[in-house]
Amino acid sequence: MMSKKWIYSLDELGQEHADLVGRKCANLGEMTKLGMRVPPGFAISVDGFEKYMRETGLGKRIEAYFAALGEDLKKSIQKQMEASAAAKQMMAETPLPASIADHIERSYEALCAGCSATGLPVAVRSSGAVSMPGQMETYLHVRGSAEVTRRVREVWESTFNTRAISFRLEKGMQVDKAPIGIAVIRMVNAKSAGVVLTVIPTTGDVDHAVIEGNWGLGESVVSGEITPDNFIIHKASLAIEKKVSKKTRWVVSTANGTAKADVPVDLQDMPCLEDDEIRELARIALHVEKHFGVPQDMEWVVDKDLPFPESVIWVQARAAKFTAKPKEADTDYITDQMARLFRR
Amino acid sequence: MTNVLQHDAMRLVPAVPGFEFDAPVDLEISPAWFLDATHSVPPWTPLFGWFWINFCRHGMQYGAEKLSLPTTKGWDWRFKNGGGYLTVLLVKSEEERRQREERFRVAIRPFVANYDELWRSQLDEMLGLYEGLKKLDLDKASNIELLDNFEQTINVCRRMWEVHMYMMYGTYTAYILFENMCRELLQIDDSHPLFHALITGFDNKVLQVDKRIWEFSQKAAKLGLAGVVLHSEPNELAAKIEAAPNGPGFMAEFREFLNEDGWRMQRMSEMNLPTWIEDPAPPLTNLKQFLVKGGGFNLEEERAKIGKRREEAEKEVLAKIAPEQRGWFTTLLRLAQKSGVFSEEHDHYLDLYTHALMRRSAMGIGRRFASAGAIDSADDIFFVIPEEIRKAALNPDLFNLRPTVASRRAEWQEWCKEPNPPVILKEGFDMDQAIGMLVKSSDPIALKVVVGSMPVVRAELKADLYGTCGSPGVAEGMARVILSEDQLADVQPGEILVAATTSPSWTPVFSLIKGVVVDRGASLSHAAIVGREYGIPVLLNVFVGSQQIKTGQRIRVDANLGALYVLDK
Repeated sequence: MMSKKWIYSLDELGQEHADLVGRKCANLGEMTKLGMRVPPGFAISVDGFEKYMRETGLGKRIEAYFAALGEDLKKSIQKQMEASAAAKQMMAETPLPASIADHIERSYEALCAGCSATGLPVAVRSSGAVSMPGQMETYLHVRGSAEVTRRVREVWESTFNTRAISFRLEKGMQVDKAPIGIAVIRMVNAKSAGVVLTVIPTTGDVDHAVIEGNWGLGESVVSGEITPDNFIIHKASLAIEKKVSKKTRWVVSTANGTAKADVPVDLQDMPCLEDDEIRELARIALHVEKHFGVPQDMEWVVDKDLPFPESVIWVQARAAKFTAKPKEADTDYITDQMARLFRR
Repeated sequence: MTNVLQHDAMRLVPAVPGFEFDAPVDLEISPAWFLDATHSVPPWTPLFGWFWINFCRHGMQYGAEKLSLPTTKGWDWRFKNGGGYLTVLLVKSEEERRQREERFRVAIRPFVANYDELWRSQLDEMLGLYEGLKKLDLDKASNIELLDNFEQTINVCRRMWEVHMYMMYGTYTAYILFENMCRELLQIDDSHPLFHALITGFDNKVLQVDKRIWEFSQKAAKLGLAGVVLHSEPNELAAKIEAAPNGPGFMAEFREFLNEDGWRMQRMSEMNLPTWIEDPAPPLTNLKQFLVKGGGFNLEEERAKIGKRREEAEKEVLAKIAPEQRGWFTTLLRLAQKSGVFSEEHDHYLDLYTHALMRRSAMGIGRRFASAGAIDSADDIFFVIPEEIRKAALNPDLFNLRPTVASRRAEWQEWCKEPNPPVILKEGFDMDQAIGMLVKSSDPIALKVVVGSMPVVRAELKADLYGTCGSPGVAEGMARVILSEDQLADVQPGEILVAATTSPSWTPVFSLIKGVVVDRGASLSHAAIVGREYGIPVLLNVFVGSQQIKTGQRIRVDANLGALYVLDK
């Protein structure tokens, strides 16, 4: 029997493939389709994980282990920690079958070749088919095919992190397995990063878009720890209104992940984006908003090593969730006035 | 002939069993029944009438009930000679009104607190249902599957009307409140140019489709197809383009666009004419009109201007609102702005789309019945009602529906000869009282779509006709009187459109014309919304415009003053 495909290039994927490769990968695929630049890479599908579990017999063993624990698991966090350790131990003792490891290594090498690099640094990111916020591992700056394969197995292993087990129990999901895919994408060497919203979230104003950004990686902007630069773009004219803040802290890549650090003094008062970059971000964001018909919330990075406009890279796009929620008191007043309309 | 007469004598099953207008009984239920002239002139085919009367009626009562509107329980509908007649079901006692008001406060809240999410979720549900219906290959399906698809289509239509009217009642309630607040705080109402400036300048799906057709017109010109397009009649456009060099590729791309966005009818509320997917003549005619007119897509050119004017209007208005009131006022303003977008988009995503799928399913059965010999041709199916379709669906070879089709078709042809009366009143009840009844219902849809505001005759203006302002501006030009969709191809660039009413299938001509005059309409009717987006004047509620104005006359429309002048009497 022909074995089923379980590694995909991003341009083969779209929104509809969340069950196949997880939401992160599906989202990257969809962005590719919309003509947005995303970091080059490939996706390992949910089936890839299942193939490993099936071919090694690990799936059956872990299933049996959890079945034996039964209902007790729900009640005790101690038991959940033990189960986590046991399941991870079983996985650590079970190497990838050669055919699986081979396929991952070949895909990584093809990615390197496509980027004309050897030992290209990549990010190995978990991509859940359902939302499992922050439960699985992500590895940055992974280099070389042996390392990539190791990290892929560790992402799979992280489905048995204690908090992932607790989460699945809490939500009434199957506990002995989790559908996750993996995105293996080139590391971006971030000059600056941040978000674009095609609506002003505080007022619901849809005539303007807002870009917020800081030097370095996007975490500092998303976490709200610093006051980022703020650029308001008038959609019709693309006129830009800038509020450049003093940016004292940033998040940078390190060999093992990321770290917070002080921004060099000469950069602190400089805008983290050039006008061309702002306009390019706005242009793409408005195009995507038009495609989906609703305001968008998108994450971007500008790569230090690439020339403009190839340097403008997207890592996330989703419908903006927080369009101006009116205040409770205003909603009360309006509904009250609405009721009065019907009194004559 | 004798056959038909025999069947008449046998008394045909009515087209909409249970809802045929029955004067003695129905005039007791309500003293005034209004013809829905927007949707049921010319008269509906029996099958379409069956769908509309059953489910538009259900949807309105569902919407009013789900929102627990304090004074209205939605509309009742009857079918009479192909016309839809409606009346408002009033809440009778003060006690009941109070109880309904309690529930209303809770039910209306999602519209205020999170309108976008509400509309998006309803839309996603409907689009999912449509995809389900489309999955079946009708010509390969078994009889069982075909009937099942038809039954599902009936359910989808019912659900569509529920969503439609729930959303419409809630949306228009917000709009009416905003208008009242503007009257109170700013002394302007919804026929005032400043009011229009506040709620205009938003993109919507219908306008996006128009723009795509304009883009195709530019592409056709680039590919050297302009000559072929300009020298072909509407019904031969597709074939002539197909035969031209570069034509097949162009048409393939155009059809791909239609497969996505062509799920719509030529006439908004009827199913006996092909959809855009089946027959691309209407959108290709729009494309041709764009080439005739030349120049850019004026919607795009207008967009920036109108958007800017709205921002200025918002600033101007907010400066007049006390700071402590700006919070709720802004929320309400945003809601009113969404009303216009909803009014246009729901036609595209709800009515037109569902009707296209009703046609698809019915024609599938029609083709099967015709090949089994139950009827002569597939489109005879529009003269058969669901009760009869069910009777014959699994074994169409055993049933002969031809006599039914013949009698119903003869009946329908009779309906088309004699216009239905605009209103049916109980003896002793007059038109003023009837309008008074609608106003008293406080029914948001009745107020904003049916009644509108009445024109004020200002003798000092010495105008020939008066109306209300649906979109501000002044225009002078040749009148073009259009009474039905099939005459739309006659519209020439720079003319002023004069009509009884307009619907989304008319939208593309708005980019050609200088102004619009309609007999009936309120500020959320199609002509007003689209006119505002295109920045052309629209005069509403002129009542006799389409009868008194003749094509070719020069007229001047001053929408700001509500006046119309015939320049070459």
